[in-house]
Amino acid sequence: MSDVNIVERGRTLVVNPLVTCQPLGAMFATLGIHRGLPLVHGSQGCNTFVRYAFNRHFREPAEIAVTSLHEDAAVFGGRSNLISGIKNLSKRFRPDLIGVVTTCSSEIIGDDVDGFMKMAHKELVEEIGEEKANKTKLVHISTPSFVEHHFRGYGNAVKAFVNTLAEEPTESNDKLNIIAGMVNPGDIREIKHMLGLMGTEAIMLSDTSDPFDSPLRPSTTESMPFYPKGGTRVEEIADSSNSLGTISLPFYGDDAANYLEKKYDVSAKIGPMPIGVQNTDEFVRNVTKLTGLEASEELLDERGLLIDSMADLCSRYLFGRKVAIYGDPALVMGMARFVCEMGMIPSFVCTGVENPEFVEEMKKVGKESEGPVEVMPGSDLRALEVRLEEEPVDLVIGNSEGRLITRDLGIPLVRVGFPVYDRAGYHRVPIVGYNGSVNLIDRITNMVMEKYYDEQHWKLQQ
Amino acid sequence: MKNSSKKFNGFESLKSSDKESLELKSIKLPQNDDLIITEVPDSIIKTLESRIGHMCVKKDESDEVGPTCNMASVPGAVTQRSCVYGGARVVLMPITDAIHLVHGPIGCASCTWDIRGSRSSGEDLYKKGFSTNLQEKDIVFGGEKKLFDTIIELNGIYNPAAIFVYSTCVVGLIGDDLKSVCRETGKITKCRIIHVQSEGFRSFNKSLGHQLACDAMLDQLIGTGKPGLDEKSAVSTKKNIPTLNIVGEFNVAGDLWAIQPLIEKMDITVQSTITGDSCVEQIANAHRADLNIVQCQKSSNYLARQMEQKYSIPHLKVNFFGIEDTAKSLLLIADFFQDQHPEIREIVDKIIETEINKVRSEISHYKTRLTGKRVAVYVGGNKAWSLIRAFEELGMKVIMTGTQNGLPEDYRRIMGTVSEGTLVVDDANSMELAKLIKKYHPDLIVSGAKEKYMAHKLGIPFCDFNHDRISSFASFQGFINFAKEVDRAVSSPVWKLTSKYYQGIVKNE
Repeated sequence: MSDVNIVERGRTLVVNPLVTCQPLGAMFATLGIHRGLPLVHGSQGCNTFVRYAFNRHFREPAEIAVTSLHEDAAVFGGRSNLISGIKNLSKRFRPDLIGVVTTCSSEIIGDDVDGFMKMAHKELVEEIGEEKANKTKLVHISTPSFVEHHFRGYGNAVKAFVNTLAEEPTESNDKLNIIAGMVNPGDIREIKHMLGLMGTEAIMLSDTSDPFDSPLRPSTTESMPFYPKGGTRVEEIADSSNSLGTISLPFYGDDAANYLEKKYDVSAKIGPMPIGVQNTDEFVRNVTKLTGLEASEELLDERGLLIDSMADLCSRYLFGRKVAIYGDPALVMGMARFVCEMGMIPSFVCTGVENPEFVEEMKKVGKESEGPVEVMPGSDLRALEVRLEEEPVDLVIGNSEGRLITRDLGIPLVRVGFPVYDRAGYHRVPIVGYNGSVNLIDRITNMVMEKYYDEQHWKLQQ
Repeated sequence: MKNSSKKFNGFESLKSSDKESLELKSIKLPQNDDLIITEVPDSIIKTLESRIGHMCVKKDESDEVGPTCNMASVPGAVTQRSCVYGGARVVLMPITDAIHLVHGPIGCASCTWDIRGSRSSGEDLYKKGFSTNLQEKDIVFGGEKKLFDTIIELNGIYNPAAIFVYSTCVVGLIGDDLKSVCRETGKITKCRIIHVQSEGFRSFNKSLGHQLACDAMLDQLIGTGKPGLDEKSAVSTKKNIPTLNIVGEFNVAGDLWAIQPLIEKMDITVQSTITGDSCVEQIANAHRADLNIVQCQKSSNYLARQMEQKYSIPHLKVNFFGIEDTAKSLLLIADFFQDQHPEIREIVDKIIETEINKVRSEISHYKTRLTGKRVAVYVGGNKAWSLIRAFEELGMKVIMTGTQNGLPEDYRRIMGTVSEGTLVVDDANSMELAKLIKKYHPDLIVSGAKEKYMAHKLGIPFCDFNHDRISSFASFQGFINFAKEVDRAVSSPVWKLTSKYYQGIVKNE
């Protein structure tokens, strides 16, 4: 058991932020719907810069529309922009779903988004007929940029999907709803793989795997507009009320899970992000509790492979090393626990989010740690940089945003999470589940070897 | 030395003999009939009547009228445009020793810090992201106090040369008085606190953001420098050495570092660059220069015109992309200084002779491989016209060009530069671009990161010509890089493997 010290940022200014505003998360979740398009009700920068962010990380297109609010809308309201935006988007793209994502400006102007959406639908029925108009589901996702962060925006979007689309339950579909959080395509595929080994299937809320990692096959690409294959179908979301249960891997997906539990009696389990042995075990136990299915031999073998590589690598290279971890709070929570399982010390755990869940989890992690843990909620990269200058660590784990500070400090950076734009393929390689944890331990150990052992290597050292 | 007797502007003021000697007569453009587009295809504009006027095909030599432009985007489009704040930020962000503080919700800073590939030879303060992180209570009670505290805090931590404070949509709506907070904190900190009124929604055209950024520099920075405060500006006080500002060059991928040595070879001192790889103090002394040369005429013509009025500094429109245009730009500068410094012309002639021969021999390999290939260009700013000649110099034909934020004057330049049968598109959304690409199947698309992966999915090679590119394309050496980069994209073996034929082989068809 080690000390857990909680440190506040202690200044109003934010330098090198670790979070962005809600709309980004909502756009991400909406792109995980099959033929789903986000329509941002705000200025043109609100979609453009987010598209850049997705392009950089996934190296994939990201189609996000905008209502292009301008000065007149700020004075007279965004009514005509939103109505004609929905109509134009429906007619040209024929999407299955439009996620109307609000922003700071549209929230402050106080647009009656629901009312405008109804009006747009009514006009569409008149113009293209009821059948065509009904094909496009409209979902209002309220994401004021000045409240909380993009993780909450993701949670709000998933909540809006089930709230708008889930239908009265009929009979059980023997599936599980999974809210995976702001993770990579590789992670979602790994979750599906694990559920497959246990003999069940998931309704992913939403499935961002194929849309953000899609094949280049020009001859089979739809004529246009370009919709990637995959994504969760609208019917699947409608069916989510018939599932055996909902597991939200990150705590910020709790709203949707709790909604389905309250309204349709679909049991909810919140957390943990299945990174490392114990968290993945807990995920498997949760699946068992909800479905009655047991962990298969293959899955236990995968667990064994993870334990095997930990046994091979941890004592020699990793034990006792100090680590700083930053980024997505759910990811940091999982990583910190895994780091302890490897005998390393999560000396600094830092996130841009101020949530009690994060602090509570870190208190638990402190009990499993070999050394003191400094918890930095609601923080930024500048705060971490200052602490690392004072007390250097052996290794930093986080996204690409820390590349300059770790370069200046001379500490190796193991890249995980979003965004990673200065390395290739990180969106494809899972870090969740037993297999993902093997990838992580390899990635961490290779970085440690390169930095601390290459000089003294000889042939027989294993 | 102010040369007001001659009216200088663009290349048209060059002597015709100079212009002719630079024409690259060896270039034969492909004359294949199917390369000529005659009409705007119906299928592209089928569903939105209002978009029809935004596309046109150049019919003949006299065709000068471009597409309808400078209008609000259709709501609900996947527009390639950005906001006014974005426009202001890209102009000012390359100032390396300044802090760029975004007064707004966290996202406006989060999504834009360190996204510009503007390189620095010294400071890297400009690469950090600073935000006041406005929260709900600030929206209700106002964010001025928070901004005030933040500026004082920032100055204490970093002691920067200046703090640029950007206004965002929210700030415009809640009505924070940026100007007075900046003035007050400026008095307390003795630091230059510069407000930029760049509320995102102020215009559909981010060019307004460029202009607002220029206004911030004109009103609050240029002309405030004291001579001799730093080494670089001290030089300008020496008599008889001609000086100039390089305006509208942002040192993306180090472009400036290819241009500046040429100027220095001509024994001209670069007083300041606005804003690539610049320091605040240099820009504060920009008013001491003899001449402004404007590279990005989209963002910075305004600044040059205003400086001409305010400080009587003439300006020249130059273009350092492409061999021919780089040479013309150097001649233009030599012409300007002809009366007082006739020796510059000799240096320029020598530079042009050696460099052009060198570049031509180095690119001949690429030219052979690229001649006859067709290019679609969709970019921001001045690149929509300045790239066209550059491609022609590689033997390639631009079949389509366009820009998100073009003004009528921009399209007149584009129409004047493109050849007949070129499609010109204004504010194309992603669907129109995709449809055009599918229809005309160009051999290369040149654009920014948002279009890159869409082009790839359609099986078309792509070349970055934006903030994201990693090699310098400017001046003579840059043109070799450019040729290399274009060849890398077009000649990559992967594009063969995407074809139906190869997919058929897998299935044993």
